[in-house]
Amino acid sequence: MAVELYFFQPLGTNSGRVFLALLEKGVPFVEHELSGRNFEHLKPDYLKINPKGQVPALVHDGRVLTEGMAINEYVDEAFDGPPLRPSDPVERWRMRLWSRYAENDLGRCLMMVNWNRVVPGFAGGRSAEEMKRLLATVPDPDRRRSWLRAFEQKTPPEQIDEAHRRIREGAEKVETHLRGSPWFAGRSHSLADVDFLNFCGFMARWMPEVMNERDTPATIEWLARMEERPALKDMRARTRFDGPPGR
Amino acid sequence: MLHLYHWEPNGASARVLIALEEKGLAFESRYVDLLAFEQHRPDFLRLNGNGQVPVLLCDEGTALTGSSYICEYLEEAFLAPPLMPPAPPDRWRVRWWQKYVDDHLARAVSELAWTAFRPQDPIQAPVSPPTRERRQAWEEAVAGYPPERLDQARERVALALADVETSLAGGPWLVGDGFSLADIAVFAYAAYLPRLLPDLPDRFPRPRVWLERTGNRRAVRSALARGEGGDPFATAAPGPERVRWG
Repeated sequence: MAVELYFFQPLGTNSGRVFLALLEKGVPFVEHELSGRNFEHLKPDYLKINPKGQVPALVHDGRVLTEGMAINEYVDEAFDGPPLRPSDPVERWRMRLWSRYAENDLGRCLMMVNWNRVVPGFAGGRSAEEMKRLLATVPDPDRRRSWLRAFEQKTPPEQIDEAHRRIREGAEKVETHLRGSPWFAGRSHSLADVDFLNFCGFMARWMPEVMNERDTPATIEWLARMEERPALKDMRARTRFDGPPGR
Repeated sequence: MLHLYHWEPNGASARVLIALEEKGLAFESRYVDLLAFEQHRPDFLRLNGNGQVPVLLCDEGTALTGSSYICEYLEEAFLAPPLMPPAPPDRWRVRWWQKYVDDHLARAVSELAWTAFRPQDPIQAPVSPPTRERRQAWEEAVAGYPPERLDQARERVALALADVETSLAGGPWLVGDGFSLADIAVFAYAAYLPRLLPDLPDRFPRPRVWLERTGNRRAVRSALARGEGGDPFATAAPGPERVRWG
């Protein structure tokens, strides 16, 4: 049965990780692009698919799967194609730990800095009251508070500073790891590479003072190896930037 | 021989202890007293620089951290008896639950449990936390969580229990036909709830019966007996840091 993916453009973070995993696995899928800027993920049509109002969602055999990390392990288990996870249990543990680091630690710090910058611009022509009414409909309470805090610019400056500190520390931690390991999990490319690329890879362009050839050469080399992969070239060709950046 | 460094059998320590007992694996138990800050001592930090339990020292010599991923390691390195269902959609759902616990339930329950069960002798300050993150987590806990944060924790717990209630409509366990890592992950925190929020279990009848069913498993009882301080769900240490940006 057909595989369908609901995702945001430009491809990155949670949407990008599943999109890229499907391309790496060689699974054909129907694309359903949602506009984050127009809050299409909060509209009734999409809430019927994922009542939590979060993207991405993968539909396969009539089932709706959510949560990017869990979806990607499903993609590796449910479809034929090149393996996206190492076979060794310790390397697999390492893969999951780095995936989590990319998403929940370094990725969240980048998201905090990024959202604080871009979310106020999401209002477009809407009044502040309209925006607040809209954001009040975000189903998950933590996510709802994050949106409101970013829109109202109420993130405490010391939290933004702390995020920047962790980003600098994170870039060093990743560099140290990649100096001793060609891929995040170890000897082979895996979902951890897919995840770091999508959650944190844009640091090289976005924060060149933190990630650059002089300070983090192993990370820059890893990025170059990733960009050579046909699946990532394919995703880059399908990425559109007419929406807000970095989401 | 596997070595498990753990605290009282609640939360993350309970998850790995239960998985080991369910698998019937022999292991050496190394008790780390979190309230005496043994997890911040240099010998422990050599195993996990973040100063957190549990840590599983596996046969290959690697110190594994992160309770969800330790449990998956045990499942993949030691096949029988399985704690993951065979069908990919069910396996997805187990991982969905593990992530939900990691991202939301663990933190919410830990905040409520710490507030209820923190040590009577006041801790003035944590002893040498190894990272700024852990220092911050301990300092917040020692100062006491603000009321709105506890309200958010209760809101999260109610949402989680509603999901548990729905999942149990189809059978005795959270996913598929058998007991799995999903039941272990949720139980390790939900077992606190009858004490913390006495009215909640009545609002969610299926989770209440499921808690008893899980707690009565022989392996779970063995795991819960591995503490040193009596009832493991009447004691608490500060849990994971809140996931930033929900």
